[in-house]
Amino acid sequence: MRATIRTTLSVVAVSALLSACGGGSMTLQSPSFPTPLVEKLPVKVGLRLSPEMEQFSHEEKVFGRETWSVDFGDANARLFRQLFDHMFTDVTILTADDNPDLLPIDALVETSIDAFEFSVPEQTSSNSFAVWIRYRLKVYDKRGDMVANWPVSAYGKSETKALGGSDALERAALLAMRDAAALMIMKLDAETGIGSLGAMAAPATAETPQDSEEDVKVSVSSDNTSSFAAGGIDQDAI
Amino acid sequence: MQDNRESVTGIAEGESVVIMARSYHLGNETEAKYISCVENALARGSKGLRVIPHREFVDSLFPWFEPRTAPAETKGLPKLMERPGVAKRLADQQVRYIIWLEGDTERVAGGGSLSCAAGPGGGGCFGFAWWQNDADYNASVWDLKGLESAGTVSADVSGTSFLPALVVPIPLIARTQAAACKGLADQLRMFISDDPSA
Repeated sequence: MRATIRTTLSVVAVSALLSACGGGSMTLQSPSFPTPLVEKLPVKVGLRLSPEMEQFSHEEKVFGRETWSVDFGDANARLFRQLFDHMFTDVTILTADDNPDLLPIDALVETSIDAFEFSVPEQTSSNSFAVWIRYRLKVYDKRGDMVANWPVSAYGKSETKALGGSDALERAALLAMRDAAALMIMKLDAETGIGSLGAMAAPATAETPQDSEEDVKVSVSSDNTSSFAAGGIDQDAI
Repeated sequence: MQDNRESVTGIAEGESVVIMARSYHLGNETEAKYISCVENALARGSKGLRVIPHREFVDSLFPWFEPRTAPAETKGLPKLMERPGVAKRLADQQVRYIIWLEGDTERVAGGGSLSCAAGPGGGGCFGFAWWQNDADYNASVWDLKGLESAGTVSADVSGTSFLPALVVPIPLIARTQAAACKGLADQLRMFISDDPSA
């Protein structure tokens, strides 16, 4: 009996030690997003997703020792498909080979992932995981001219529970994606003018491509990795 | 426990409350388990309030109560109500009050020394350690009937835990956060019901 208790305690101690020191992995399993309370814009939109939106994974050594891997699978693509379906009256998904000139659309939106970062509790002396994602949306009008180039910077944070680091990282990633969705619902039209590109809307005024970085400033270091400098709330938009 | 009333409160049968954490975009660190604790404590008992779980509420009003978009002040409520579907969704759920929590539980002091050793013949610990936690929380109560602030309730609880060990450690843990949870929930129930016996 005493030997059994000792063995059990040893196993628990070793498991705890490995969990504390060994990094981890996270896979987003087909996340679902709530239906947003939003009115659709009367625009026929073509949505083209970059390859990394369909399959995104990232591996990183934290402090040069713990290896953490994250696998979004097609979660980013699912987010954009669902979101655009709720935001616009008509959405057509384009593959890389589709020619948008041959499709009855008012605007083409190309999306990609610019940057991804995360932090683990040991880095921030807290008990939280945090995830930053920066998407990029390029909006083209009917003539194929780029009318907007908008970086969407999103942030999510979640507390870790006992020995449940990957769950907390998954929750933080999901919150970051929801944050991006919220930002796009609030500001996509204002930032890109996409609402004015619809056939029923007034003719769009010619705009030069804009690259507004007001939400998060991103610096690019010499090793070509991006880092987020700040996040924030846009209370003016509320 | 303290409260600061700004308007007359009260809650009718069927009306509900929601407990939310202030946004982490604003630096707030309120623990998820504290929010769940207050939700459970408010709903418990014969005079318990009808509490809508915060995640269910946030999902039902997506994206208007996300950390980025949730109103930070009551003056943002009229504009929120104009958003498509928001007023109806709140009415369907009969939400009367939104309670915004901010604050956290921190270790403010500690000391002592404890060492443990183990060998083939067994193991043990020797020493004494202690630490003090401070749970400081503030709840802002928004009345959706008048789209105004009803007031605030706050809880500030300190507790010191001890861990003496003579072969076997004997933890004497002060349940600081749990005390702050129960205290705040009791005070909130009285504040909202406007009934000292609640």
